[in-house]
Formats: sequence, C-alpha cells, structure tokens
Amino acid sequence: MNNKKKITWKEVRRQKVLLIWSAIFVVYGIIFYYLPLGGWIMAFQNYKPRTGLLHSQFVGLDKFKFLFSDDTFIKVIRNTFAMGVLNLVFTFVMAILFAILLNEIRLNHTKKIVQTISYLPHFLSWIIVTGILHDAMSSNGIINELLVNLNIIDSPINFFADPKYFWWIVAFANVWKETGWNAIIYLAAITSIDPSLYESAAIDGAGRLARIRYITLPGIRSTIMVLLIMNIGNVLNAGFEVQYLLGNGLVKSVSDTIDIYVLTWGISQNDYSLGTAAGMFKSAVSIALILIANAIAKKTGEERLF
Amino acid sequence: MKEAKVKVRPRRMKQSAGGVVFDVIIAVFMILFVIITLYPVLNTVAVSFNDGIDAVRGGIHLIPRKFTLDNYSTVLHKQNMIQGAIVTVMRTILGTIIALAANAILAFIVSRKNFMFRSQLSLFWVITMYVNGGMVPVLLLYKNMHLTNSFWVYVVPGAVSAFNMLVIRTYMEGIPDSLEESAKLDGAGYWTIFMKIISPLCKPVYATVALFVAVYQWNSWFDAMLYNRMKPEYTTLQYELMKLLSSVMQQSGSATTASSTAVAAVTPTSVRAAATVVTMLPIICLYPFLQRYFVTGLTLGGVKE
Amino acid sequence: MKTKKVTSLVALSAITVSLLAGCGSGSAPAADTDAAAAESGATTAAAETGSTEGTTEEGKKEHSDDEIKDFSMFIAMPGSEINDGNEVQEIIAKKTGVRVKETWLTGQTDAEAVGTIIASGEYPDYINGGDAMKQLYDAGALISWDEYLDKYPKLKAYYTDAEWDSFRQDDGKIYWANVFQNTHGESKTTTHNDEAFWVQARVLEWAGYPKIQTLDEYFKLLEDYAKANPTMEDGTSVIPYTMLCEDWRYFCIENAPQFLDGYPNDGSVIVNLDGDKPTVVDYNTTPTAVKYFKKLNEEYNKGIIDNEFGTQTYDEYIAKLSTGAVLGMCDQWWDFAFTVNDVFKQQGLDKLGCDYVPLGLTIEPGMPNQWHAYGDTLNNSSGVAITTSCQDVDAAFQFLEDCLDQEIHDLRFWGVEGVDYEVDENGLYYRTEDERMKATDTEYQASHLCDYSYMPQWGGTSEDGKNAMMPTEQTSEFFANLADPLVKCFEAYNATTYVDMIGSEEVELGPWYPMYSFSNAMTTDTPGGVAWTKMGETKHEWLPKVVMSKDFDSAWSDYMDAYSACKPEDFLSEMQEELDRRAANQ
Repeated sequence: MNNKKKITWKEVRRQKVLLIWSAIFVVYGIIFYYLPLGGWIMAFQNYKPRTGLLHSQFVGLDKFKFLFSDDTFIKVIRNTFAMGVLNLVFTFVMAILFAILLNEIRLNHTKKIVQTISYLPHFLSWIIVTGILHDAMSSNGIINELLVNLNIIDSPINFFADPKYFWWIVAFANVWKETGWNAIIYLAAITSIDPSLYESAAIDGAGRLARIRYITLPGIRSTIMVLLIMNIGNVLNAGFEVQYLLGNGLVKSVSDTIDIYVLTWGISQNDYSLGTAAGMFKSAVSIALILIANAIAKKTGEERLF
Repeated sequence: MKEAKVKVRPRRMKQSAGGVVFDVIIAVFMILFVIITLYPVLNTVAVSFNDGIDAVRGGIHLIPRKFTLDNYSTVLHKQNMIQGAIVTVMRTILGTIIALAANAILAFIVSRKNFMFRSQLSLFWVITMYVNGGMVPVLLLYKNMHLTNSFWVYVVPGAVSAFNMLVIRTYMEGIPDSLEESAKLDGAGYWTIFMKIISPLCKPVYATVALFVAVYQWNSWFDAMLYNRMKPEYTTLQYELMKLLSSVMQQSGSATTASSTAVAAVTPTSVRAAATVVTMLPIICLYPFLQRYFVTGLTLGGVKE
Repeated sequence: MKTKKVTSLVALSAITVSLLAGCGSGSAPAADTDAAAAESGATTAAAETGSTEGTTEEGKKEHSDDEIKDFSMFIAMPGSEINDGNEVQEIIAKKTGVRVKETWLTGQTDAEAVGTIIASGEYPDYINGGDAMKQLYDAGALISWDEYLDKYPKLKAYYTDAEWDSFRQDDGKIYWANVFQNTHGESKTTTHNDEAFWVQARVLEWAGYPKIQTLDEYFKLLEDYAKANPTMEDGTSVIPYTMLCEDWRYFCIENAPQFLDGYPNDGSVIVNLDGDKPTVVDYNTTPTAVKYFKKLNEEYNKGIIDNEFGTQTYDEYIAKLSTGAVLGMCDQWWDFAFTVNDVFKQQGLDKLGCDYVPLGLTIEPGMPNQWHAYGDTLNNSSGVAITTSCQDVDAAFQFLEDCLDQEIHDLRFWGVEGVDYEVDENGLYYRTEDERMKATDTEYQASHLCDYSYMPQWGGTSEDGKNAMMPTEQTSEFFANLADPLVKCFEAYNATTYVDMIGSEEVELGPWYPMYSFSNAMTTDTPGGVAWTKMGETKHEWLPKVVMSKDFDSAWSDYMDAYSACKPEDFLSEMQEELDRRAANQ
C-alpha cells in the first residue's frame, strides 16, 4: 500500500472515515483469516501434536510428492471437479429460473406460499435428505416404479451400484436441497428493479418472455455475475457429506472427493500434514480459478468481484 | 383466479394467448416443484410422529402409522436443551446484528466508486473465502485470544463474511450514484450517506443477509463442540441435538474393538426426524417477517422523487 | 430523529470495535471470565474440601453434597449423556464422594476429537480416547499409573501382572486400562456376541434341523427354503441372503475367510502356528478367500443374494432385517441383534421363528471353528486414562477403585434394588417385565440409570458367586426373553445357549491375540500403515464388485492386481514384527 503515495492528501482527508474503517476491517481480517494460514507450514512438516508447529520435523515437499504420486488423489481431483461443475451449473441455473418464474406468479398469496415451501429442504440435514433419496431410488422405490410403469425401462435400475449415475444423483440432490434457498438472493435483487420499466414495456407491447429477457435478467445481471464468479472459485468445494452418505464401495472410484480424501488420510490416520497439503492445493486452485474468472469478467466488461 | 390477477396488477387489463400459455407453464412447473419439495419434508414430519421401532420397517408416507409423541419427548427432555436454546437465541440475535452491521459497513466502503483501495480491499476479503489454515491453527489462535470457553467465539470470528459482504455490495452498486452525489452537494458525510441514503434502500438485501446469518447462527453446533466442549453453559441447541443424534446412532468404532456392552436400542430415524422438525420450526416462523422487507424493494422507484 | 439513528449505529459499531480490540489484545470479555470463574470455582472448591475423604471404608459413610467432587470425562465414542441429578449417579456420588460428568463424541472421529483436545491443551479429568490413546500419550497428557496402582487393590487385581505389562508404553509405564471384556469368576455368557453366519430359526425348523457345517450346505439350505417359501405370510418376498458393505461395517463381507479357515478373530491377519514360530498370513488371498467369494458370486448370479447388498446403508440393512424377510447373513451379534430382536418381539415375528441363530461354518466339513471368543479379549490399545489436568489424582484413582466395588457395580449395571431389579429368596437377582421395559426406556435411562460405561467393569459372576455382574448375562433374564421357536431349535441341536449353538472350540489363545490391537493403532507414518489404509480402500471397492461380476475369474484377477498395488507385504511385515515381539514377551 505504500507505493500508492501518489494519492493526494486531500483525497485521503476526504476519505478519512472510509480509511479508518477499512483499517479496522483489515486488522480483523488479518487476525482471523490470514494469521491461521501460518498453519500451512504443517504441510512441509511431519506435524505431531506433541511437538507442535514450531518443533515438528521438517520434511520439505514430501507430503506433496506423496499426494501427486498417489493415483487415488488424481482420481479424487477429477471427481471433485466433475461434481463441482455439475453442481454449479445445475444449482445456478435452477435458482435463477425458479426466482424468475416465481416472480411471474401474479397471485401474491400463492407466491408467498410457494416460496416458503421452496426453502424448507435447506433445513433438512444431509442425513435425512440422503435417506429419503435412497428410499426413492431403491429398486422398489418410487422412481423405479414410475420408470417401469411408463415403460421407459424393463426392470428396476440399481442407481447406486452403477458409477455412471452417481454424479448426476449428487447434482440432483444439491438442486433439490438448495434451489429455493439460493433463489432468495435473486428474489431480493429482482425487487430492486424499477416496476415502471415493466409498465412501460407492457405499454410498448412487449410479451412476458420479452420482459424477462430485457428487463428482469439485465436487472439481476450484476448479482448473477458476482455469484457466478464466487461459485467458480468454489468448484473444488464439492463437499463430502453428500458423497460420504450416498457413496458406497461400488462407486468409490467416482464418489470420493478431495475432502473425503483429507478425511481418510489427514484426520482418521492423524496425518494432519497430508491433510494440510491437500487443503493448500485446493486453496491454490480455487484462487487461480477465481482470478481467471474475474479477469474474464473484467475483459468482457461484466460485473466483477474486485 | 382471474379476479386475483386483476387485484394484484390492475394495470394489466387484457391477457394475450401467449400469456395464458406462459401462466400454465409456470403453474405446472410450480406444482411439480412444490410436490417434489414438499413430499420429503412432510414425510419427515410423519416419521417424527411415528413410533421409532415401527418406523424401521419403512413404508411411512404422509401419515404416521403408529402415532406417538415419544420422539419429541426424547428431544425436548434432552439435558441442557433449555440452556442450549437460550444460548442459541442469544447468539442468533447478537450475531446477526453484529454481522449485519459489519458487513454493511464494509460493503458500503468497497462500493464507493472513488475509494482509493476499493479493489485491493475487495480482493483481500475475497481471498478469505477460499483459504484456510486448518482446524488446529485456528484452535490455537482462538485459545490464545481467550475466545475458547467463551460465548464470544460464536459471534466475533465470523462477524465479517466475504460472501455476505459481496451480496450487499452488489446490491449497493445497483443504487444510482446520483443519490449520493446530491447528498454530497448538501454537505453530507459518508456516515450520513450510509445511514440516511443507502441503508434505507438496502432493506431487501439486509433482510436477505440477516436471514443467512441468522440461519447460520441458528444451525451452528460445530463451534460449540470444538471451543466449548467442556462448558455446558455455552452449549447450543443444535449441539445438544447433535449429541442426541450421535448417541442414538449405533455405537461406532471399528468392528473388532466393539465392546460387549449393549448398544443403544433406540432407532434413530424417528428421533432424527423429530430433531429436524424442532430445528426447522423457529426459522420457518421467522421467515414471513423478513419477507416483508423483500417487498419494500418494490417502492424503490418512488424513493427517487 | 436523524441523529438518533446514527448514534445507535455508532454505538453498535463501537461495541463491535471494542470486541475486536478486546480480542486482539488477548483479554477475554468480562462476561465470559465471570461465568468461567463461577464454574471452575465450584469445581475447585469441591475438589479442595475433604481430599483425603473416601480412601478407606468407602460406601460405609455417606458424603454430603459439598464434599462431592466433580470430575469431567471425555469418551471418544458416541454415547448418551445422562441428566444432571440422575438418581443413581447421585447415590453413587453420596457413597463414593465423586460425580463424573461424561461428554461423548459428536460429529467427529475419535482421532479428530482427541487431536483437537490435544491442540487446545485443556484436558478433562478422565479420558477414553478410543483408538487415539497413543496420541494422548505422545502429547504427554496422561498420568502414569505405576505410582498409584499398589494403593488400590481392586484396581490392581483387575488385571494380572502380565496383562498390566501389556499396557506398558515405550517408556515402560502404564497410562490406561481397558475396561471391557474382563470376566470375574465364572463366565456367564449366553449370547454369541461375535461374528457368525446367522440363519432364521424357522429355516432350520422347516428343514428338520439338519447339521449345517459348510458354506455350500448353508446356501443350499437358504435356496431350498426360499424356493419352497418364496414369500412371508404378509406377502413380502423373502431375501435369502444379504450382506452389509457400508463403511467400517464391511467386515460383514470381508473377514469371513479367517473364520472359515478355523482361526479366531485376530481381525487383520491370521496367525498361523504350523511352523516353528507363529507367522502372519493374509486371509484376503488364501484359497479359502477365493472359494468364499466365488461362492458368493455364484449365489449372487442365481439371485439368492440381495441385489442391493452393495449399496445399502446400515439403516436400510436393519430395516430389511426387521421385516423378518431376510433368511440369513454374516454379521456380528451386537451389530444387528439389539434393534432387530426388539422389533421382532414387538411385531410378534419372534413367535414365527424369525430370530437368528448362529452357525459355526467352516470351508471344509468337520473342521474345528473359533467363531466364538470364549476368553476375554484384551484390547490394550485403548482404555480409560487420567490426564495431567486432573487436580486430584488420588481421588480420581480412588473412584476407579470404587467402580469395581460390588455394591457400586450393582448400582451401575443393575440399578436400585426394588426399583430396577428384585432379589428372590435364593438371593438371585431378577427383573419384572415392567422393570425390563423401564430399563430400555431412553428417558428413564437418562434420568435414573448411570452405568459409567467407560469406567472399569466386570463381566462374569458377581462376588456373591450367584449373580451375573451384568443383567444381560443373568441366566434367568436370558431365558425369560427367549421365544419358543428358539427354545425348540436349541433343543434340537442339544444346545441351551447361543454359545452352544455355534459350537466353537475352546482354545488357549497366544499372548499376541488379538492382532487387531496393533493394526488399529497404525498410522500413515509407516509404510505398513499406508498399505493398511490403501488395502482397506481397495477391498471396499472391489469385494462387492467381485461378487456382482458376471465373470468371477477375471474380476478376481483384476482385484488381485489392484490389491497387490497397495503393497500388502509392507503391512504384513510390520504385523509379523509385532507378532514376534508379542510372542517373545510370553
């Protein structure tokens, strides 16, 4: 920040309030978010709780070497990416679609009820959700029953035994659980659109689809972009709970994520260092992704994060 | 149906054929959506009122087969439940107020177009979303700051969240600059602009973020376990529920070390369901109040004057 | 009005700032300190008074409220918390002068929980760290027992000297004691708590109680029964055989080969005694393992094995068993029996003969089997310990001693006489039907019963020589709960209990038994530990695949390729080393 000397004193005085507050927030951020990053040193040690961070044996890049020479880790990265991208695309599109369509409901009462219902699944824990999903998709569950009765398939499919279905099931579970909740942000954004725009468009004879396209979507575009960039950075956080609860031995090769890997190796086996190394890798990729996404947004003149 | 439509938007008198088709599509979509969403929730409610052992047999849909209140009684009689509820309410209220104030101020700063460190400050916070040093360093930090074994660990460390800040910032950036400019001409400082011009217009997004924070605070239990494990006076509702759940879930541990003592014989499914319902209720009741603020955004056009 | 709003927000921000500042400078907010002081004050005050109390003649004298010491305990296992003011806990507190507040594992693994406790450096008075005891020792968190043990005769007698020695860590000292599987006097075991191939009593009855010795005979029986009786009375189709593969419970499919070869449950390896010294053998690759999985594969393709076995969760598995439709499976008793038998009883399925009986199968007919573990299995990798944070170590040890006192022991496991159990004219304990029901009620357990289940305890016979230490082992209680079809079945095989039914050989086990106490404590610090973790992952994925494949031989060879890529030899050589060490200590 010192190289910003060119900033005039006058400007500094004018922005004094902002600067003081910024400083407070920066100090806070350093303490609570950046200081613990010192823990990354663990990735280069053979960390033992007894010796602590300062005195554990230094092992250099050994932990990283172990990671990248492990076939499982490579597979796990692939799975995490695949599920992350699927989740992102589907939850994202569904939430926007839902928010827009909900906004088109003209019965205020119905609208409120539907919205209230929509975010209920957010409060169900994954244990419950996966339990229900398992029920519904079992060979005598409702989905197989439906498919057989509609003659789409001849005999029930064992969805959880075949690796090819797993990623889609996870994406569906995420969509089901979070669509209504994620839509809240867009609904709030839609309310900030000036209603007179709709009125004048209606007078000009624009149909409802046209109004969505030319008024609603542009009106929430900045929100969409910001969330999109943020979520791109989150692609590697495809989670572990869902995969952990829905997965089984048969689909292990597609269901394990980085977080599960960390759990298996880092926590259960007490190799905190290995867990930290995997976590560092995840952070690095996330930051790279978000920088790229932000740069693209900047180039195309879209809303950006920073 | 027609009447209601007219009531809401009297300005739209005639409905084109395309509009009707569109309404039908929306109606079908929403009905499907509601069924798919609601069924599992209602199923959970049904199971929560069903006898635990009977529920193991499965086949319960929307109506409990063997009605009982035992599951709720198990949940509500849990030790420390009241204390947990008090702490949870406290942290939800305090945590929401503090987080909302902090995020709003930070969002206000980074949404000022002429602020000199605008993008640096944003980046500084965006990074925090994607990096973390792991559980152990954080624990050591909190311990050294005397945040462990304390109530404040619930509200202080999480007060600023980059995500919530960015949500507010995006909304604030949608507010026309002309408002700020004219206020500045009147000699208003940043505080006045924040309090009198920006914040009243931000009610919908404040309500959104408040809801996010409140739900987060309401549902948190991991911090209670990690930092206040031996301090029952700082326990939270969710932590108590989690304890209940993991105690009814069968004894874990590797097969070969399993002890000869009997394993808890209660079936977890229905108690789990009851705990879920207990968790959901308060937030569901809270929502309609917050929803009011989403509607106020509609009057935005009028504020411009 | 304008200013008012601004001030309120400024005030609010000021609070925020002061909080931040307060934390930054390292001072705890006042409210917190007060509350904490109040809490710890109570504990220390209690600990300071009367610290010499209760060392002699415990139980004879009642301790008043302010003499009672409060200890904390963390147990790295999920469990049920009991209520404050629990009745039995208060009685025990009055008699021993100690009250222990137990905290259980929630939402973490044992290693994770212990890891965070170590990182925070604040320990409870007592700790049972599950498989992570070694870490606590490594962190220097535990009090050594050697200086105390001689002062407490009951505790000292809890194990033989040789057994105590097996707890010694590399500094030669004892830091914890396992509290389970320790028999006092004559064994009272009636159930087969271990693993077996189980079959419903009605299946055996239908076939005229044949002698079932091998895997082939077992599956033939299930097939025949299912062909003759494809549905239950209520129309549900029977499931001849199912297997659980979920997470750590996949032992249900995985470890049968060691038993089929007639070996005991060493858990991770077979210990072969044929050579001049005991050697470890990998049971995953033996000819028996191939035969076993080939058989499963055959049966799966015939439709005898549940086609959802590879994907079902534990809950689903239990639900399936609870319908009574599953004829047989391989599992350990404690993993299914408590829930499933309750449901059977409630639904009247026990009267139909749905209860499971164990069969001691072997790969060839006529081999002796060791499915049942007769003696006590000493798992020295885990147990109860006292930490360096404990303010009154003597009192803590005294309480361990008191836990083994017969009067306290009865209070812990039987409850209060006349309330939870009755004594007949011969001095035998029994429960009325009402008392049995009460004992299974979770609310009653929380408010009334207090078994301190992770404190030292005995199985077997009580000091009076008549009763069982645990109600579950009391013979009269066992028979009172037995349904008719089971009684008939036991009679047909000349058995009176589950233990007779499985007919395992009683063998004196070597000092190395059980080898799993070593593999459980392995970490990825060693190549063997890495291999052990990878082997587990591979088996998890491949075993169900092999069973479900259309072409067993090629699936098996693919599995073997994946398996040898894990370097099982690294694991086996470390196990052999440990086996040699244990054998030499004999």
